[in-house]
Amino acid sequence: MIQPALARDILARATATGGDFAELFVEDRRSQSLSLKSNHMDTVSTGRRHGAGIRVFSGTQAIYVHTNDTSREALLDCASKAAAAITGGAGCEILPFNEADVSRPEEIILLPTDVRAARKAEKLRAANAAARAFSGEIVQVSAGFADSVQDVLICNTEGLFVTDRRVRSRFMVSTVASDGKENQSGSAGPGASMGFELFDQRVDPEECGRFAARQAVTMLHAESCPSGVYPVVIDSGFGGVIFHEACGHSLEATSVAYGISEFSNRLGEMIASPCVTAIDDGTIQHAWGSTHIDDEGMPTTCLTLIENGKLVNYMIDKLGGRRMNMASTGSGRRESYAWAPTSRMRNTYIAAGQDDEAEMIATMGDGLYAKDMGGGSVNPATGEFNFAVKEGYWVKDGKISHPVRGASLIGRGSDVLLKIDRVGRTMVQAQGMCGSLSGSIPVNVGQPMIRVSSLTVGGR
Amino acid sequence: MTAINTFIDQLLDTARRCGVETAEVSYSEGESFSVKAMSGRIDSYEVSSSSGLSLRGTVGGKMGYATTSAFDSEAIGQLVEAVKESAALNEAEDQDEIYAGDEHYPQLEAVPNDLSEVGAESKIQLALSLEKQVLGADPRIAKTEGAVVDTSSGTTILRNSMGLNLQRSDSVYTTYVMPIAKDGSATATGFALSCGRELKKVSADDLAGKAVQEVLSQLHAEPVLSGEYRVILRYDAMQSLLATFSGIFSADNAQQHLSLLVGKEGEAIASPAVTMMDDPLLKGGFASSPFDDEGSATRTKAVIDHGVLTTLLHNRRTAKKAGVVTTGNARKAGSLLVAPTNFFFRPGEKDLAAMLKEMDHGLLITDISGTHAGANPISGDFSLLSKGFVVRGGELCEPVERITIAGNFYQVLKSILAVGSDLEFPGRGIGSPSVDVGTLSVSGK
Repeated sequence: MIQPALARDILARATATGGDFAELFVEDRRSQSLSLKSNHMDTVSTGRRHGAGIRVFSGTQAIYVHTNDTSREALLDCASKAAAAITGGAGCEILPFNEADVSRPEEIILLPTDVRAARKAEKLRAANAAARAFSGEIVQVSAGFADSVQDVLICNTEGLFVTDRRVRSRFMVSTVASDGKENQSGSAGPGASMGFELFDQRVDPEECGRFAARQAVTMLHAESCPSGVYPVVIDSGFGGVIFHEACGHSLEATSVAYGISEFSNRLGEMIASPCVTAIDDGTIQHAWGSTHIDDEGMPTTCLTLIENGKLVNYMIDKLGGRRMNMASTGSGRRESYAWAPTSRMRNTYIAAGQDDEAEMIATMGDGLYAKDMGGGSVNPATGEFNFAVKEGYWVKDGKISHPVRGASLIGRGSDVLLKIDRVGRTMVQAQGMCGSLSGSIPVNVGQPMIRVSSLTVGGR
Repeated sequence: MTAINTFIDQLLDTARRCGVETAEVSYSEGESFSVKAMSGRIDSYEVSSSSGLSLRGTVGGKMGYATTSAFDSEAIGQLVEAVKESAALNEAEDQDEIYAGDEHYPQLEAVPNDLSEVGAESKIQLALSLEKQVLGADPRIAKTEGAVVDTSSGTTILRNSMGLNLQRSDSVYTTYVMPIAKDGSATATGFALSCGRELKKVSADDLAGKAVQEVLSQLHAEPVLSGEYRVILRYDAMQSLLATFSGIFSADNAQQHLSLLVGKEGEAIASPAVTMMDDPLLKGGFASSPFDDEGSATRTKAVIDHGVLTTLLHNRRTAKKAGVVTTGNARKAGSLLVAPTNFFFRPGEKDLAAMLKEMDHGLLITDISGTHAGANPISGDFSLLSKGFVVRGGELCEPVERITIAGNFYQVLKSILAVGSDLEFPGRGIGSPSVDVGTLSVSGK
């Protein structure tokens, strides 16, 4: 992508005014997305994203300059612009490159760029047919498939010169059920760091179609969810979004290093109930949020965040590490060359516990069983989080009574972690896109079924 | 621009020679600058220049699509082959067509713009001064999440094989500050934003003052009891809700059963207090443009006129299917969709203070969160984490947080009691004044 000699010139130019570290990130990404709606294949769009970003540090000050023009002149010009923003500093020596390629081509069986779009389209048609066949109340099915092959080169003044290839594929189905007066929706969106073999190994398009259709039809016949403070059982899989929002973001160096997070300076303290162990693992082979190296070129790690309730680690990127005087945990991520990297989650989950799933519901009294979740958000400074329930059921006296819709769950992270009183035995992960300071990136969330003894349920 | 026009010439020529019947290129390029002050110093500094191009073209009357941000020797061949592969799979019953353009396009009224005169050093000083004033305002404000000054400029070119050649340019600034206040165990965050085209007119004093007032007034906020409450959504909270549900006015969504407004033209879908404008010619609007993304001339229209739905928003394809003319709302995002331009409730007579008086008792909501999750554009249902104030006797009383407000957007349109005079646009096309939405369900303690 860029020859080492040019990379060296760029790093030298970038640090010429006293920067004590510089990094070059180059990306070439080929992607394709397909969509089907109203029973017909609709849009197929093929894209190529190409560009580079140069980052310079002076102490904990960070400069970032990016461009989609990767010619020698343009990159040297970017390096000059970055250097111009540094006013005095220690400077640095540019160490000899230790060239490495960490891509693992053997992991991918069918590279997306080698598979014709027509073959991908068959999967969309299969999901559409299965969803429509599920119920006459289904009035619309949108199916989509998106894949990408991202080639990256990351080098820096510390001698790093590494290339990698990231391959991802994701299938999406969303449905609308209607009775003519009201519409309700359902969706499924499995994905992995895999090529087209995703469909041979992990994803059954028809099953996705039926899942999304069942959800929309169930919600069409659901009552509004009651409002108030109740016990809530949150199912495995995407239910893990509760940890992602209530705690995960607040353990990222992005907010911890500035002392903004409610969990700043609390390593070693009990911040969760003793039944909670939480992990952020960037190394799981083929997982949606995994990469071989992070976007700063560091090997990714399997990091325990909370061990039996005790806070043991933060997620740290290079700049966050400088601010915190701690080592990077391989957590530096970014959407593309157009974003400076920062500390981000990868595949984050609550580990399996020992509680019986049936007992959790049987002993909860009246409350909410949240079977499938939507996304959410958090304000790390206050810890206030929210996330949406896509498919919920009201529980009366320990028995699942009827489907409920339109609920969101809110609370404060430090509060809710201490109120988790059951953790089930089977951990499941699910795929999502996480938006934060360095853009929108793929992450897994996950957990076994858990129970929160009391949580504010926003219904109506 | 010469180099890119040569590239576009070559691309359109190659497309034609390779069997693409009609083709269109959208190209945009821009530069941006952003600086963030935090803890009294420049924390981050970003500069970028970027460009991107999308090609769409028909083969056998079917449309195909491709995009690139690489302009190397491979790019032209890749784009054309991708469009052909894409077109071959397109089975949609209603196809887009490349458009030769209109005879006349409206003129946008010029607005003052000083951004080319403001250098990096002035922006750095503004960011530092904004943060300093916020930090110095009150001992309870010990930190900020940053004070940011951001400027961007861009040019868009739309050219096609039917001879269309349109271009527009704009530049804007956005500046904001996010204080954090602590008092005992209470923490509150605030936000104040300014955006426009005259950066020299920004007063760090005013903006800092607004952020400080906002954050201090939220300290010690508590949930209210769950129940039904009269609610006024302040302009910024209402803007966020309107932006979330603006897709229901798209004819493209309606024709796909993704909006319940299908076939409702001419019917009362909202309270008589509601007139909703889509105005691409708004002076100084952030989404103002004389042409849309397929080259149709744009025009100003009331989408809802005193409660009655007068039209959905159309591109040429959805208009043809509905037997009407396009409203000039085509938006390219991969394929050709429909989107509003400057879209807002036409402001009413009363300011927020008068509306609060009229409400007497209830809640003023100043912030809603998680609209990407807690609001469902298909059903219209929403349940959103919110903060604001209790209103008693028409006066703002204690602050409120950790509550949700829940309702259905289609029902909210009908239950609106008053639309305020304080129309604001937060740096994008969709804007709103404060709106008295009647009664909503509130979940608290």
